[in-house]
Amino acid sequence: MTIKTIKLAAMAIAIAFLSSCNDDDDNTDSNPAPEAKGNMFIKFQHVWGPAQEDFALNTALVHPGTGEELQFTKLRYYISNIQLQNANGDTWIEDDSYYIVDTENGVAGEVQLNLSDVPSGSYTSISYMIGVDSLRNVSGVQEGALDPAENMFWSWNTGYIFIKAEGQSDASANGAFTYHLGGFEGPYKANSSMFHNFQGATLEISPNDNPSVHLIVNPARFWHGGYSTEQTPMVHMPGEMASILASNFAGSFSFDHIHN
Amino acid sequence: MRITLAFALVTLFVSCQNENQEPPISDFSVFEVPAHFPDPVYDFDGNPITEEGFELGRKLFYDKRLSRGSQVSCGSCHAQVHAFADHGVPLSVGVDGREGRRNSPGLYNLAWTEAFMWDGGINHIEVMPIAPITDSVEMDISLADLLDYLQSETEYPQEFETAFGSTEITTTKLLNALAQFQGSIVSDGSRYDQYLKGQYIPTEEQMRGMELFDVNCSGCHAGVLQTDFSYRNNGLDADFSDLGRGRITQNPADNGKFRVPSLRNVALTNPYMHDGRFFTLEQVLDHYSEGITASATLDPALADGIPLTEEEKEDIIEFLYTLSDFELLRDLRFSEPTK
Repeated sequence: MTIKTIKLAAMAIAIAFLSSCNDDDDNTDSNPAPEAKGNMFIKFQHVWGPAQEDFALNTALVHPGTGEELQFTKLRYYISNIQLQNANGDTWIEDDSYYIVDTENGVAGEVQLNLSDVPSGSYTSISYMIGVDSLRNVSGVQEGALDPAENMFWSWNTGYIFIKAEGQSDASANGAFTYHLGGFEGPYKANSSMFHNFQGATLEISPNDNPSVHLIVNPARFWHGGYSTEQTPMVHMPGEMASILASNFAGSFSFDHIHN
Repeated sequence: MRITLAFALVTLFVSCQNENQEPPISDFSVFEVPAHFPDPVYDFDGNPITEEGFELGRKLFYDKRLSRGSQVSCGSCHAQVHAFADHGVPLSVGVDGREGRRNSPGLYNLAWTEAFMWDGGINHIEVMPIAPITDSVEMDISLADLLDYLQSETEYPQEFETAFGSTEITTTKLLNALAQFQGSIVSDGSRYDQYLKGQYIPTEEQMRGMELFDVNCSGCHAGVLQTDFSYRNNGLDADFSDLGRGRITQNPADNGKFRVPSLRNVALTNPYMHDGRFFTLEQVLDHYSEGITASATLDPALADGIPLTEEEKEDIIEFLYTLSDFELLRDLRFSEPTK
């Protein structure tokens, strides 16, 4: 064996190893240059009632429909499976897309989610789920926002609590309302697929900008359609009431504007 | 030149391994699918068993620090000497002497189990331990508090690193370790298994019992796993203080139904039924023969009970004894580790 053949053999082996190392790498020669990506926010502005009064935890509120005096001590919910669509009909689907919106972290009723690595482009609509898809409810232990230690998980009846709303209400017999809403199978699902057209506006993603989608969320809507904390002080498991209240809440999500 | 080549190869290997966060591959083997069993439902490919992960799960299983105030461990109510059921009590006792709501089942062949608990409310072996850990009448500690506590203990961060690659203790690592241990507990060493493999000749009584069992019991306690994994009302009560499956499905047609338990190791895991009301196998067979209570959701197959003579009951019990797996009871891999 000559020096030259040894060198060739070494190179061949080295290339074999390098290519096996690079299986999960985007930067191989067979791929084009990485596409430009940018950052964006989804801002959930929580408001109260048709007049869109300020909403905050631990603040006295009067329900515009029932007249009940109440205050929230907790409002947390899952947002998942975020997708953006552009005018060409192309869809970007975020990988592993699971977030908890926690109004405890809100500023003036606004909670924002930060999405990074969004491909540059002009987007015309957004879709997402309030809650968690059925697959992640049946696949064992999960991480990140889906970590059961987040306390948005039923231990005895496996599944995520999609929406947690708790507080005090004078009208309730025990002085409280406690809604733990979930359910991913059977007749009473509590996850809601949402879609908002940007109404002619475009969300412009580029490496140097931080545009945002502004959505309005109106928790007064839990008690839309004649429901009240007096009649329904507690929902602690999947079922018809969980489905109704979750659907009511989802009905309060609306698109407000784009800020590029 | 050879030295250069070897060095280049080593460098490449090292760079590959640096990108790879997986724990080291070992030839450790504790879980094997018995030849006469169906395919398991839990896929260990997503949680590969290593010696370090299994041993960590074993240690956690027997560690009272998994409960508030370090009062009880998983092993407190799931004792190997009883095929990992409790020590002959109807309802188990958790922290502060609090009594549970249902009878603790034996733990074995969990990798073949699609739904856990008497009502089937838990759908995956990995998330199963969250229920006893957080339940106020069992171990009564939140996952967040437990993770903080384990992180603060001297030995656990290092043991989690050895098993899972980093010292940070997470829900996933905790539950994966417990799944590696509990999922590995296989009961396939009974005389019944030996009979199925042609290695044991039953006695006349056992043979008569097996034939009676096949005719009268195997519709529900079916197949090699001794259960069809269905939910049925077996005629215990006319009114249901515990809705059972109905609490999970919210369907009144499921009220009073409970999961058909595997009868493997049945003689080792008394008392019986979801509330542990029957202490002996004789009482259980008397119930099926003469004690069925009618109700709206009673299983149709039990409408007339299962009439049995006293001799037939004795023969069936002789057969049930062959379901005891004494190898499981003395398998040191699953025993409480010595400190």
